[in-house]
Amino acid sequence: MIFITGPLFSGKRHYAMELLGCEEQDLAARAALDVQDLAAQRADDLEALARELAQYEVVTAAEVGGGVVPMDPGERASREAAGRLCVLLAQQAQAVVRVFCGVPTVLKGPLP
Amino acid sequence: MFTMVVGGAASGKSAFAESLVLRAPLEHRIYIATMEPFDAECLRRIEKHRAMRAEKGFQTVECYRDLSSVRVPKGSTVLLECLGNLCANELYGPEGSRAEEAIFSGVQRLLTQCSHLILVSNEVCSGGTKYAGDTLSYLKLMGRLNCRLAALADNLCEVVCGVPVWHKGGSL
Repeated sequence: MIFITGPLFSGKRHYAMELLGCEEQDLAARAALDVQDLAAQRADDLEALARELAQYEVVTAAEVGGGVVPMDPGERASREAAGRLCVLLAQQAQAVVRVFCGVPTVLKGPLP
Repeated sequence: MFTMVVGGAASGKSAFAESLVLRAPLEHRIYIATMEPFDAECLRRIEKHRAMRAEKGFQTVECYRDLSSVRVPKGSTVLLECLGNLCANELYGPEGSRAEEAIFSGVQRLLTQCSHLILVSNEVCSGGTKYAGDTLSYLKLMGRLNCRLAALADNLCEVVCGVPVWHKGGSL
């Protein structure tokens, strides 16, 4: 599994299609997208979630840990879970790529 | 040549971008200012940036919207600061739906005139995903333009605590 992270709207999905050599309509079958939003629902079960997601060829998640700690307890917990999930995914990934303004940087590799 | 300098708030991106311009001859330095002076905080910020540019020989051109209308001398070095202001001015202005194309074609037009364009942009998309409405539209616009413009750029750098991290090019 290749884990792709980066800011919101930074080109992660586009880069995933490039990596997999596929079009938008085939992406959902091969990649788990924007998994930062899944983490909150499975906060007490993140390791199992990460193992499930690792079955995909590509997993993408937006970096959400920047900025001020949210006032709302739900948002706080959701952000915390998203960050933890990303760490687990990066551990299990054979490669980790951060996309910044559409430009990929390999943080852990090599890419297959 | 086209160089993009991107960073978070107060990351030192302006000072770094200015240091790139200072390598150009004195008579060819153009600064395109984009901040509309709405209130006292804007005026203070504008004053701070004016002081940074003082004695550096910049000729200032004001442009809040419609970047395509700006004319700069052939062969000049242009510092355009910043994409975040331009996006807000266009998006929340009278022709908001055309913001992306107005800015993208404006940059392309500048590139045909100057010898080096240095564009300062903002990393605004790393603070969570819980956005809606106008803020979400703004983040999408910034994200899309950052990607599209970076694809055009010869050099792309992210400024972290004043230190440039080159994602593309960098042998300036």
